[in-house]
Amino acid sequence: MAIWGLWVINKAGGLVYQRNFGADGLPHLTSNEYLVLAGTLHGIHAITSRLSPTGASSGAQTISGETFKLTILLTATGTKFVLLTSLAEPTADSVLQKVYEAYADAVMKNPFHTPEMPIRNEGFDARINALLGS
Amino acid sequence: MTIFSLYIYDRHCNCVYYQDWHRTKRPRIAVEGGLLPAVSAAVTPRNTLSSASGVLIAVNDDAPRTPLPPARSQSPTPQHPQQLASAALTFDEEAKLVYGVVLSLRNLVKKLSGRDEQFVNYKTSTYKLHFYETPSGYKFVMLSDPSVDSLRFVLRQIYSGPFVEYVVRNPLAQMDSRERGIDNEYFRTSTDRMVRGLTVFE
Repeated sequence: MAIWGLWVINKAGGLVYQRNFGADGLPHLTSNEYLVLAGTLHGIHAITSRLSPTGASSGAQTISGETFKLTILLTATGTKFVLLTSLAEPTADSVLQKVYEAYADAVMKNPFHTPEMPIRNEGFDARINALLGS
Repeated sequence: MTIFSLYIYDRHCNCVYYQDWHRTKRPRIAVEGGLLPAVSAAVTPRNTLSSASGVLIAVNDDAPRTPLPPARSQSPTPQHPQQLASAALTFDEEAKLVYGVVLSLRNLVKKLSGRDEQFVNYKTSTYKLHFYETPSGYKFVMLSDPSVDSLRFVLRQIYSGPFVEYVVRNPLAQMDSRERGIDNEYFRTSTDRMVRGLTVFE
């Protein structure tokens, strides 16, 4: 029952926001490594929707390892919100929805934000802190 | 709740075995040379009729001795019209995509966890992919309904049961050959029985 990280990936596969939470849990990687992993995830997500053995499918929604999982929320505009949590975390989906709300309020309504570019925004940081702790 | 398909890959990235159950969207037959012989009779190019002339253009003698529908050499109509949908991938392309996804996710999970943690499964709106890798590098991949719990134990059972019994201990099965799959009648039957016996199989 823990949340360890949050990524926001733009529609081109670039990592525009990345935060770690909690001291324990997953190791902290360099920002370059996170960029590469986000790009990989973007590609995998596109392929997974083509592999469906029955009808049309969405891309991967949750990806599980042995001790953690990634929950992915794909918005209508192609932005992906990814939450890294423990396996037993039941609130991942609702947390992602709230993160999306915070993103819509604090990032998309900010006239100084350039779309698809890295998010550097104190208001968004504060909303995320309130939601997930720091 | 159901099981869709099973893929087995060796450590050289080759698909060596394939079997499916309740797939509604079937892959198209693999292109000539895209797939090893003895992977699955259902998707291996064999007795291929050119649909225009009805002429036999390729025969694969290495096919396993599982019962198969007789080749209809007189009829120019394709046997599986639904497989000709252009949206469907050919089997060799599909097998490569599955391998690529599984390998990338395995590396992603290893990198994120910072230790030797295995990728277990992922879920989309219509299916769930389960993954199990043996120490010898064989990769077992199973696609099921998204509501199914982890099927890793089943993949492990297939490995420790039919796979060890009918492939590893089979002097006629060439493992690691890079030239042949591992399909044989005993392995196929026994895997089939095991999967059909699962409570989630319906």
